Amino acid sequence: MNRRQFLFNSYLGLGGLALTDLMAGVKNPLEVKPAHMPVKAKRCIFVFMEGGVSQMDLFEHKPELVKRAGQQMPTAGRTVGEIATFSAAPNRIIPPVAPFRQHGQSGRWMSDLLPHMSKHADRMAFIHGVKVDNNNHGPAVYHVLTGNQFPGSASIGGWITYGLGSENQDLPGFVVLGDRRGATIGGAGVWGNGFLPAAYQGTLFRHGSTPIVDLHRQASMSDEQQRADLDLLKWLNEKHSAARTNTSELEARIAAYELAFRMQSKAPELVDLNTESEATRKLYGLDDPIAEPFGRQCLMARRMVERGVRYVMLLHGAGGDRWDDHGDVAGRIPKHCKEVDQGIGGLLTDLEARGLLEETLVVWASEMGRTPFDNNLVTDKPGRDHNQYGLVVWMAGGNTRGGAAFGGTDEFSVRAAEDEIPMRDVHATILRQMGLSQDRLTVLHAGRYKKLTDTGGRVIEEVLA
Amino acid sequence: MRLICLFLALVLAALAEAPDFKRDIAPILQAHCAACHSKDAKTSDFSVESLPAVLAGGKKHGKAVIGGHPEQSPLIQMVKGEMAPKMPVGKDLPKAEVARLEAWIRALPEDRDIAKQSYRWPYEKPVKPTPPAVKNASWGINAIDAFILEKLEAKAMKTAPAASKTALARRVYFDLVGLPPTPAEMDRFLSDGSPEAYERLIERLLADQRYGERWARHWLDLVRYGETSGLEGDGAIGNAWRYRDWVIEAFNNDLPYDRFIVQQLAGADEHSKTRNNYQPDVQGHVPLGFLRVAPWDRSNLVADEVRQNYLNEVTTTTSSVFLGLTLGCARCHDHKYDPIPTTDFYRFQAFFNAIQVENVEVPYKDPGLAEKAKAKIKRYESLLKDGPEKIELDKYEAGLLEKLIAARREKAKGKELTVADLRLELRWKDQKTFTEVEKRTHGDLLEDANRTQDPEERKALDAYEAKLLAKMKVAPPGDGRFLALTAEDVKAEAGNRRSSVFTEAERERHAGLSEVLDTYRRRIGRWRPVALTVRNVPGPPSGPNLPPTRVLVRGDYRQPGDAVEAGFPTAIAGKVETPAIEQDRYRQFPTRGWRSTLAKWIASPENPLTARVMVNRLWQYHFGAGIVATTSDFGVNGARPTHPELVDWLAHKFVEDGWSIKSMHRLMLTSATYRQAADNPAADRSADPDNTLLSHFNRRRLEAEELRDGILHVSGRLNPEKGGPSVFPPLPADLADFARYGRGGAAMWETNEKEADARRRSVYTFQRRSMPLPMMASFDAPVFSESCERRSSTVTPLQALNMMNGDMIHQEAAQLARLATERGGADRAKQVEALFELVLNRKPAAEEAARFASHRGSLDGLCRVLLNSNEFLYLD
Repeated sequence: MNRRQFLFNSYLGLGGLALTDLMAGVKNPLEVKPAHMPVKAKRCIFVFMEGGVSQMDLFEHKPELVKRAGQQMPTAGRTVGEIATFSAAPNRIIPPVAPFRQHGQSGRWMSDLLPHMSKHADRMAFIHGVKVDNNNHGPAVYHVLTGNQFPGSASIGGWITYGLGSENQDLPGFVVLGDRRGATIGGAGVWGNGFLPAAYQGTLFRHGSTPIVDLHRQASMSDEQQRADLDLLKWLNEKHSAARTNTSELEARIAAYELAFRMQSKAPELVDLNTESEATRKLYGLDDPIAEPFGRQCLMARRMVERGVRYVMLLHGAGGDRWDDHGDVAGRIPKHCKEVDQGIGGLLTDLEARGLLEETLVVWASEMGRTPFDNNLVTDKPGRDHNQYGLVVWMAGGNTRGGAAFGGTDEFSVRAAEDEIPMRDVHATILRQMGLSQDRLTVLHAGRYKKLTDTGGRVIEEVLA
Repeated sequence: MRLICLFLALVLAALAEAPDFKRDIAPILQAHCAACHSKDAKTSDFSVESLPAVLAGGKKHGKAVIGGHPEQSPLIQMVKGEMAPKMPVGKDLPKAEVARLEAWIRALPEDRDIAKQSYRWPYEKPVKPTPPAVKNASWGINAIDAFILEKLEAKAMKTAPAASKTALARRVYFDLVGLPPTPAEMDRFLSDGSPEAYERLIERLLADQRYGERWARHWLDLVRYGETSGLEGDGAIGNAWRYRDWVIEAFNNDLPYDRFIVQQLAGADEHSKTRNNYQPDVQGHVPLGFLRVAPWDRSNLVADEVRQNYLNEVTTTTSSVFLGLTLGCARCHDHKYDPIPTTDFYRFQAFFNAIQVENVEVPYKDPGLAEKAKAKIKRYESLLKDGPEKIELDKYEAGLLEKLIAARREKAKGKELTVADLRLELRWKDQKTFTEVEKRTHGDLLEDANRTQDPEERKALDAYEAKLLAKMKVAPPGDGRFLALTAEDVKAEAGNRRSSVFTEAERERHAGLSEVLDTYRRRIGRWRPVALTVRNVPGPPSGPNLPPTRVLVRGDYRQPGDAVEAGFPTAIAGKVETPAIEQDRYRQFPTRGWRSTLAKWIASPENPLTARVMVNRLWQYHFGAGIVATTSDFGVNGARPTHPELVDWLAHKFVEDGWSIKSMHRLMLTSATYRQAADNPAADRSADPDNTLLSHFNRRRLEAEELRDGILHVSGRLNPEKGGPSVFPPLPADLADFARYGRGGAAMWETNEKEADARRRSVYTFQRRSMPLPMMASFDAPVFSESCERRSSTVTPLQALNMMNGDMIHQEAAQLARLATERGGADRAKQVEALFELVLNRKPAAEEAARFASHRGSLDGLCRVLLNSNEFLYLD
């Protein structure tokens, strides 16, 4: 152990906790850390659709709904409870807004609203009938993205970077690409570090040329002047450290300024899409005004994982433009699909073409599913209600089993026909592919070893290669 | 060179990944123990060849490892030399390896029975120990020092020299008021040559009103203080700031801690002492904000679930904050580590069972504040009535209304009449188509259908409307009905993103004008003297029976189990017993005694945990780590006290001194232990790498609030205003547009009433749960959704970006440069000297003076360098 390391270890222990010794030698919280088990995916892109995507309009083929279109929903048993609370009574069945057809070798049924995604049917592994802990947006979003329906827990990306660090030390390990129309319902909490240190919070990349808050020098400041000022700061700080013992944290701050200085030039390069070929831009739909915003997010995600960012979260939907289709499903759902279909399809194509798909786990989810029946609001354009039992999640790449499907809902797409799949199983599966054990990725907080999967989830082997 | 410590974070929180036997433990045992304890050698019948062999132990001591309990495991006791013979023979296992073994054992499945029975310390009332005798009688000022020195001497460790007066002053200023001393304040202290100079400084700071603002922040961390729901659009929950101001005042007044507890749990339930009036004091509602400031899922329609979530949160937070008890772990199953059965969770919860969440009008106690609030409300009401913005909006809406009427008329031409036309016709005052009776009948049906959302009501409405529509079609009226459109319809149309009537520019302008008025409305709400609080459902005799509290199977509100009576945790009370509930004089309000019974039990000198937990928290805030490092968990799974006798002694002293928090500050801050320097050249750091024995002061980084407030303070621009509704420091321009959208279009972040509000202390910043200020979040301010007992201290490049490029640092550096010029004149060398004194409370050394004076660049730049310096951010 050299002097520096020794001093570092000593300083780390400052907290007075024996447990902090486990961090001994971990200088940099985002330094690459060994996985717990064989790594199936090095990086993860989590594509999140806010509002509660209607599973039976996109991914669940239910002929019964066509057959019974406009009829009263049979009330027997399965629609009572939380699902029914938004409606005074279960109402008329709304058929899917567009026809379904089969795709690929697997014969996967998908809606005609998804022409680009459906090309990848054989690469996608579906999980049906996932159950979320709450039937309302805020708590459900938190549950899907942090494992807990109440705010305050660490997000999936926080856990993963805590467990594995990041391959690119010049960029944040966990990046969030938000919908430019506005913030998600949980705000910064859904990419927060929760009870983990601040180093594991997601960094929100903004649209435009200033992707990170305060990334750019003030207009009055030149590159040379900033360098000269930083050199003076470094000189002062080094002098300060030299007169002291246990200086690791002090030295870390000196290093952080150098990294920040470098980020000022690296991050704008990252978000500059002008270097992408015309074909690539087209692939993501950047030439189509409706597909362009989310297509851009998808293309950015590829550039991130290409550079070794560990976890990228894409958010789609904000405010009135969420997938919260309480009315006018026939008008809204096709529009939302058009917004995301080409970007996501393009992303899968592009990752595959560049040989990145095998080591990149792509996860698609919303915070809940929807009901097959009209939610009885006073409107002439019927809409669907929330359904915490009907979430569909699909995964692609990262050594998942393309073309697989696991779980399933009843003939009305209301809830799991047999065993429902708790969200924590999905979380366990993501961690597994990243080479992390849900039981070893823990942190002691408020008397418990907290983990993403809370009481523990089952890895859904059925969708893994 | 590849930098070694990029993104380096020093994790001061209890942060750990459980070690794995094969990967982390077996190599240690192989290297140090296998020579004698292998499969073949098997000395004392003990072998480290495999996990089962290690767990099985040897013939001398039985089990080598007690799951979850390193301190009780012979393996650890022997490598640490606590049990003879010390192993491995003749050498010491490196500390880090011992720690790894301990962490591994701690994370093993709990040997539950042993744990629950054996760790009784937290649950037994402390006996006041006598401070121990020490060898070096010349060191030490008060009893604290004896306890500290004894342990250091036992390890043959030396204390650090006393900190310099300058370092000590900066330390104690930040510790007590959260701000650095001004040059004048520093001079005053340094020039006081009397032996009591330091004690006098402490008294000055304890009397300083800024003390409450600093210490309230610690408490607000603990009580997960926030001002928005955190869920479903994150709307404001009401005037949480009343509670925040109460906490500040309580600290400033040194409200005895037992009263501090009782008021937060049962403030409004305390019966008046006067015979003629048994109404509680309405002011008691303000501290009850403790029970209200958690995240709040207000749009969940499943009432039982909302209620149960609320009760769970309150039960969990109350027990961890006041008792250091992780009762929340027993919600679904018996506590895995501590002797807390699930029934205890619900027995504790039963004390809260009568709670009814309410907002109550509580007049301002401070007449100045009352006047101010009245004036503000009056002003905003008049602005809303006929202020310039209101007039402008009305005018603008009138113009839009004309456009809307014309557009609707145009659109209706040649179209068949619809229900919408019918409804509009019925609204039109000059209509001739329908009779008064028809109009009234329709109005009633419409209201019923909207209110009940009942399909039957809807059917009746549909049928009636069909009838009226048919009548309307027989003799179609003209298009006069469009005159019935109003400003409300303009608002609705302007809110429609896909409006075909108004242009985007028109909608934007309308939204901008409306937002100004909405802001006035919100300000009126904030200045109204309303407090977030709770009341009690009365129960018999004045009300119906309350449903009993039931144990919930696996914590699920849909699976109620046995009913339970309110009661204290058995681990402390010793048995399951229903305590006598306090009654009012006339036995009119039995439920009113529930929470106060619990509160008084917590706030009792007899309670073994309450005083210990609080003195340990105070210790952590002054010394960097608690004597029990897990300050909100005194249980088996928490850290063991490093100085149990000291906690017990302090707990006794705390109660003896009337639960005075300020007395505890005096005691801790005047100790020689606190006055040590942060560097100890004589200390053998390897003997105590964590500095748990306190052979020197724990250097610490400023917390987020100290940093922001400190910068504003040294630039001379901190606005010292006290109390009142929260303020909105400007968001970075890069975030502002992101923040604009909120639920229903309301702004997520508002403008301030006046510019100077942006420069108030951070404790007054509006705590929007979904939108922490980026600077605060990057410097480890807590997410205010869960109780935070201790902050992390991380180092990231995002902090550096903020401190290099942020608007605030540039603005305040310019102000600081102005101050330095005022003090130093035009001469750069003099300016530099002034700058060092303003920011670092010292003169520059010769080489610093030379280097700074010759630096090419502006004085502003030099200011930024000093504000970014480690010396400014770290307290020695």
